[in-house]
Amino acid sequence: MLQLLWTVPALPLLGFALLALFGRRLPRAGVSVIGAGSVGLSAVASGLVAWGYITQTVPAAYSQCLWTWMEVGSLKVDMILWLDPISLVMILVATGVGFLIHVYSTEYMRDDADYARFFAYMNLFVGAMVVLVLAGSLPMLYLGWEGVGLCSYLLIGFWYDNADNARAAVKAFLVTRIGDIGMLIGLFVLWFSLGTLDIQPLMERAQLQWTPNSAVAVAATALLLCGALGKSGQLPLQVWLPDAMAGPTPVSALIHAATMVAAGVYLLARTHVLFDLAPAVQCVVAVIGAATLLLAGTSALAQRDIKRALAYSTISQLGYMFLALGVGAWSAALFHFMTHAFFKALLFMAAGAVILAMHHEQDMFNMGGLRRRLPLVFWTFLAGAMSLAALPLVTAGFYSKDMILWSVLSSPKGGFLLWAAGVVGAFLTGLYSFRIVFLVFFGEEKGHASAKPGPAMMIPLVLLAVLALGAGFVEIPETLGRVALFSSFMGVHAAEASAVLGEGTQQVLAALLALGGLAAAVVLYLLRPGIVKAWVATPSGAALQRLCASGWGFDALYGMLIIRPVVALSSLCRDDFMAVVWRAVGICAEGAAAGLGRAQTGRLRFYMAGIALGAVVVLALVVLL
Amino acid sequence: MSAYNVMAMSPFIAGAVAVVAIMLGIAVRRSHRASAAATVAAFALMLACIPVAAGVAPRQVTPLVVIDAYALFWLAIIFGAGMATAILARDYLRVRGGQPEEFYLLLLISCIGAGAMVCSRHFASFYLGLEVMTIPLYGMISYICSGKRGVEAGLKYLILAGAASAFLLFGAALIFSEAGTLDFVGMACATVNYSGSLVVLAGLAMVLVGVGFKLSLAPFHLWTPDVYEGAPAPVTAFMATVSKGAVLAALLRYFSTVSPDTFMSLRTAFSLAAAASMIAGNLLALRQTNVKRILACSSIAHAGYVAVAFLALGDIAAHAVAYYFAAYFAATLGAFGVITLLSANGDLREHDAMEDYRGLFHTRPVLAAVLALMLLSLAGVPLTAGFLGKVYVFMAGIRAGLWWQTGVLVFASAVGLVYYLRIIAVMTATPKDGDHACEVLLPAVSSAAKGLLAALTLAVLWMGIYPAPLLRIIEGIHLSAH
Repeated sequence: MLQLLWTVPALPLLGFALLALFGRRLPRAGVSVIGAGSVGLSAVASGLVAWGYITQTVPAAYSQCLWTWMEVGSLKVDMILWLDPISLVMILVATGVGFLIHVYSTEYMRDDADYARFFAYMNLFVGAMVVLVLAGSLPMLYLGWEGVGLCSYLLIGFWYDNADNARAAVKAFLVTRIGDIGMLIGLFVLWFSLGTLDIQPLMERAQLQWTPNSAVAVAATALLLCGALGKSGQLPLQVWLPDAMAGPTPVSALIHAATMVAAGVYLLARTHVLFDLAPAVQCVVAVIGAATLLLAGTSALAQRDIKRALAYSTISQLGYMFLALGVGAWSAALFHFMTHAFFKALLFMAAGAVILAMHHEQDMFNMGGLRRRLPLVFWTFLAGAMSLAALPLVTAGFYSKDMILWSVLSSPKGGFLLWAAGVVGAFLTGLYSFRIVFLVFFGEEKGHASAKPGPAMMIPLVLLAVLALGAGFVEIPETLGRVALFSSFMGVHAAEASAVLGEGTQQVLAALLALGGLAAAVVLYLLRPGIVKAWVATPSGAALQRLCASGWGFDALYGMLIIRPVVALSSLCRDDFMAVVWRAVGICAEGAAAGLGRAQTGRLRFYMAGIALGAVVVLALVVLL
Repeated sequence: MSAYNVMAMSPFIAGAVAVVAIMLGIAVRRSHRASAAATVAAFALMLACIPVAAGVAPRQVTPLVVIDAYALFWLAIIFGAGMATAILARDYLRVRGGQPEEFYLLLLISCIGAGAMVCSRHFASFYLGLEVMTIPLYGMISYICSGKRGVEAGLKYLILAGAASAFLLFGAALIFSEAGTLDFVGMACATVNYSGSLVVLAGLAMVLVGVGFKLSLAPFHLWTPDVYEGAPAPVTAFMATVSKGAVLAALLRYFSTVSPDTFMSLRTAFSLAAAASMIAGNLLALRQTNVKRILACSSIAHAGYVAVAFLALGDIAAHAVAYYFAAYFAATLGAFGVITLLSANGDLREHDAMEDYRGLFHTRPVLAAVLALMLLSLAGVPLTAGFLGKVYVFMAGIRAGLWWQTGVLVFASAVGLVYYLRIIAVMTATPKDGDHACEVLLPAVSSAAKGLLAALTLAVLWMGIYPAPLLRIIEGIHLSAH
């Protein structure tokens, strides 16, 4: 079974190749079968691989060396796949959720003119994501990393006829590129310091050669962190993710919620050994995570566009994962990644169903009362929102968020303040999740909802709703009757914990705050909507509302601090010394080409003379030197 | 001649028999289809004989010829390139009428000559191979005698190549006058012993002039754009690949017997020629508006790159040169293949002006994609064959301490990117008058040519992504064993 590992990335890439080459000539049904089928087969292959992995007699990581790409001097780049619990969970989610989203897309994108192009990009994305996750060496990981970045760019700008979409695509690409450059430099640092880029030997050598908090450890991990911050939309590189919602909704569900944005989390989990050697950087990770989750949570409260609200909630949930990574609880981060992939993909896809039914209306204030028109969409969206809000006991989100909060509180690297940020975030999550539910599905009907979504959209929604509620039962905390399937699979054992609060107390507090968020939403958006309206009408309320709606004004801030100075500087430097130099290079090249071209007379005697002259020069050189 | 020798020489014997058979066939009844098919079959047979010969390699057959792993590798890619040329030529000649059957005889003979060169260990066989390769080329270049361009190009090549041969012969004669032998090993020993002798140095310099002409190294490159442009596209493909590769392969065998420190002045001269070709080739290509001329200039530059690897000498150079040429053969044949297929239509015009390629991605997306891939490989973009080729040439240069030559290589390849991307940019632009372009650019592509382009595309990607099997073969080659 384990030998099938290579088919997991190969199948979607094959699907991409087929669609890219023959997509235009295939009928739509053929495109659907290849597009969704390749990912489906890949999901089956991942399932078989998982089965093979679990039933191994001696549980051990499995590596499959495909080939050596190049070997030059001491630099050897292998194409090697590495399967361990971390990558196994990631490929199961990427191909499983990916398959459901592909099935959903066959209906969602039905009327699009570029049907084949869409599925070609989506297949390429799944292939690249699986390469990223299974990579056994950092160059291969980087290949997948750039591959998913490229697909993200292509899919955000999928409807490139609209200039705003193209601008959002460029913004996403440029902002993540800032992080990628840091990560690339980090790879060079690792290679110079440890002499290998294969991940497993790298971890072993780092443990032997690095002392904790040494300069090289801090530098390398901080540079890797740059890449992760860009990809996962964390402070200060979070500005691209809300704009990325310009792409089709299935893209938002797959790339900008479930899988690609978690690549940063995956990178940090994969290299957690390095981060353990740099506690200073870990502390930064935790603080960034806490700040991001609060900032994005408040921003989500003020959005009118349903997809932007969900995008801010994604940033906020990724903040939780970074918070967990910062305190060294990488298995908790991965657990939250998994449940988040289920409920956030579900929320986006249900939102997509709503948007389609409302004829591409995305403003929540123009919706309302849809629970009667679209009952099944309502119930599935509600399941997702409950899981996102981490309502206690019955949702998957509760168990994963609880694991994070308890790790933050009990870990020596965590502490009360970080935990407090987490539980305040839980309150905000409850509030904004149900704000969306009440605005969209309750209240009076506005606008006209048309045809109900068909089975290709509804079946994935129902399946994901089941997962969003039930997937948490693989890991139940000690106070509720311990189940530790996930963490024991990850090979992590609960450490002796000491905290200011007991585990049970903190659970009750967190649950109460989440329910408090729900209650506040009931009051503010269902029973007494006048309160919010009246408050927003006051000057201070309006200002705060504007601040939150703009995501705390980071776009304006960067525009003022970075973009405008750079543009001004570059226009100032348009005719500076270096520009003259570069222009001179061009002119010289053109001139030299013209001069050399003049020798191309077409006359035979001239060419003969050229050879004779060359012979004289060579003879003179040889004889005289 | 023992049975083993016959086995070792079997690729050549098969080729020679095929030439006679096809000639007799034409005498009985003219059929373009049969001629072309027989030629492709002959190349397949010659390729099939290579494993037979490998069974008895390494083996010296007469004082003239040696069959070893190095020679067999080169035979394989030369015959492969010959087969590709035959397939392309069939599409090209079919629409042009006339009497296309004899073209294939010339092609086969030229390939046999090139094969003889890479197997030679004696100046006599080297020179004979060179002439057997070159003389049919005159005919091939001017095969289409309806237009002026082909005849002009053929005549230019005839006169200049004749002069270059004269230099080569004179150089060999000078060395012979000191060494008293024409055997490579003997000549090399003698040149080491007489390293101070001006006669030997002058002889080597003249050999360099002759070879530099064939490789189109600057300053002997002036003829290249004219002849490449005037020749039929499949012949240009053949000249850019086989006639260059065979000469360099033979030269490398000769110089690998010499210790590199013996002739510092000669090395300097060769380095200068290499650097000049890299710079001149890339700069010349910048302002061209004809795709065949651009590729001609690019082939000047590529000769310069590979000359850097050549300067490293020994096994490192043999491996780098072999890999580089394998990648370069595939990409160049593919690029000229697309030009050939576009030119193989009713209006009997060479489609080689830049304007012919405007909007090709819209009118012929598959051909455009193939051409783009080949150009990217020539430019050395990662995940294509050309990238690893460049890496190996670069490493050979660094290991041999050729610092400034390698530096020129890096800068020149950066310039090179400009004109390759310019062609791709033109292809992505919107076609000027869409419907008209569609009509003109609808040549009927034969399924053999389609298969060939598919195979070359796969080869370029395969060598770029999964080069291990090819590298294993190449690393089995040892030059210094003789």
